[in-house]
Amino acid sequence: MKNTIKFIPLVLLLTIVSCKKDKKDPDPEPEPTPVATSNTLKIQFEHNVDAIALVLNQKYVNPNLDTFKVSMLKYYISNIVITKNDNSTFVEPESYHLIDVSNLSSTTISIPNVPFASYKSVSFMLGVDSTRNCSGAQTGDLAQNKNMFWTWSSGYIMFKLEGTSPQSGASNKGLEYHIGGFGGVNKVQRNFSYSFASTPANVSASVSPIIHMSVDINELFKNPTTINFATQHTQLSAGVNAKMFADNYSDMIKFENVQN
Amino acid sequence: MNRIAVIFFLFSVLIFGACKVDPKIIEPLPADNLVEVIPEGWPQPKYTYSVNTISEDKFVLGRALFYEEMLSVDNTISCGTCHQDFAAFAHAEHKTSHGIYDRVGTRNTPGIFNLTWHPVFMHDGGINHIELQPLGPISNTLEMGADINPVIAKLQASSKYQNLFRKAYGSDTVTSQKMLRAMTVFMGLIYSYNSKFDYYKRKENNVEFSDAEQRGYSLFTANCSGCHTEPLFSDFGFKSNGLTVDPFYQDSGRAHITNLPQDRYKFKTPSLRNIAKTAPYMHDGRFTTLNQCLDHYTNAIPNLTNLDPSIPTNGYQFTAQNKQDIIAFLHTLTDYKLLGDKRFADPNF
Repeated sequence: MKNTIKFIPLVLLLTIVSCKKDKKDPDPEPEPTPVATSNTLKIQFEHNVDAIALVLNQKYVNPNLDTFKVSMLKYYISNIVITKNDNSTFVEPESYHLIDVSNLSSTTISIPNVPFASYKSVSFMLGVDSTRNCSGAQTGDLAQNKNMFWTWSSGYIMFKLEGTSPQSGASNKGLEYHIGGFGGVNKVQRNFSYSFASTPANVSASVSPIIHMSVDINELFKNPTTINFATQHTQLSAGVNAKMFADNYSDMIKFENVQN
Repeated sequence: MNRIAVIFFLFSVLIFGACKVDPKIIEPLPADNLVEVIPEGWPQPKYTYSVNTISEDKFVLGRALFYEEMLSVDNTISCGTCHQDFAAFAHAEHKTSHGIYDRVGTRNTPGIFNLTWHPVFMHDGGINHIELQPLGPISNTLEMGADINPVIAKLQASSKYQNLFRKAYGSDTVTSQKMLRAMTVFMGLIYSYNSKFDYYKRKENNVEFSDAEQRGYSLFTANCSGCHTEPLFSDFGFKSNGLTVDPFYQDSGRAHITNLPQDRYKFKTPSLRNIAKTAPYMHDGRFTTLNQCLDHYTNAIPNLTNLDPSIPTNGYQFTAQNKQDIIAFLHTLTDYKLLGDKRFADPNF
């Protein structure tokens, strides 16, 4: 009995120490390579001003013939759905992407695990759906530390463009457009849907298609409302004026082609 | 046998001693009752801890963050600076919030309790989720004046917070979501449902109302409970109670968020629980006593713009005795169990 008691600390020690590392299994049988049934599909956003490629802090001319530079352009693309030729759909899970022109890799969205098929169209939202605007602290691109969330009036800034213009009526000649508002008549999310026409995106083992989209910044400043930087240089809250910019950007993104 | 006991003792000290991170934080924290509470007869809360599950480690982290001055840009102001536990987490004797560089805010610090029932936050309802609430004061330039990313970087560089985040989440990586959810565990567990009024309603502890309290309760039910509705003593609506517009603040209230003229000068109905401990009163702290509040409601209402239709423009016809009775009743809403609850006190003292 006494001997047994003496061993208790030793046994305890062994138990604790043994918890630190899992025992190594003997080499497992090599698993058969699973047959691939999906691949990655990409959507690439190229930014222009009219037909000229957008470069941050370069000079451009808007439809009102004011000159301007863009120092920052960020916006959300969410809820991506691609439709097969047979009209069935693939819905990207957790489909929230922050496009930031200063970060080239963010301008191409990679969607993994897209089932092999021929896809004829894509749709997505510019902005963040109202549910995620009301769901508290988020992670990933929706995390509240991306400088794309209003802390004083809850909701995402769906679209943010900052820059300068000599014609700006602001004392610092700045342009600041933070477009948000997720509900009601002044919501600023806009839905986009494109058919790939004669060239479907053929996801297969050997093909990871790229869908090319072009984004024309000048669409923010025209159609239906031509923006005048002298008076319309700042928009930092939701409401009827934010909706005006959203109506302008509702035709900002255009489908270019599919690269298979 | 003695030797064995000594080995055993040393061994246990080694095991348990090694786990202690910061005894200052852990020591005064009784782990009891760190659970969601829905008092009998209360509605379902708006926020439940189904996703953000409650743990003692998250609570300890949330409590440390609540009292953490690194959340402000110059490391001088914590949430607890203006939300004082002895004042039901309002700011005693401060009309409006007091922030970095001695800046003074524009609104009165509300108490913190029963937050999981609130559909929206702030006097203007601008914040739509309890997890997002801390971001308001943290980023407000008159309060803590900080961007969230430098705050995250400061916490990430602190060995204290690396340990607290690891214990709470299994990883020491600080993210905005982890930070906000731990704070939500702390803030949301500040419940107030053990006032004299609650004991009276639950027929507990042989509590009875005095004649004045009983008369006050009847007057309150007949005149005030339309907005200050039991059991939370707020309908969480937005109302104008006819206060004059302060020419300095020019605070439009709810309209600041909605831009609607019909929302001008409306503010969220405050709960009256613990009202005797949360002076001063109104959204800008203009009244220092409950007598002044009652006087506002019994005099002719000075600002009729968007005045709530339940408030008579000539004021309520209360006698001096009526007013004293109502105030006697309001004192029964003080929850001394909450005010003395060390779990919510500053762990650094």
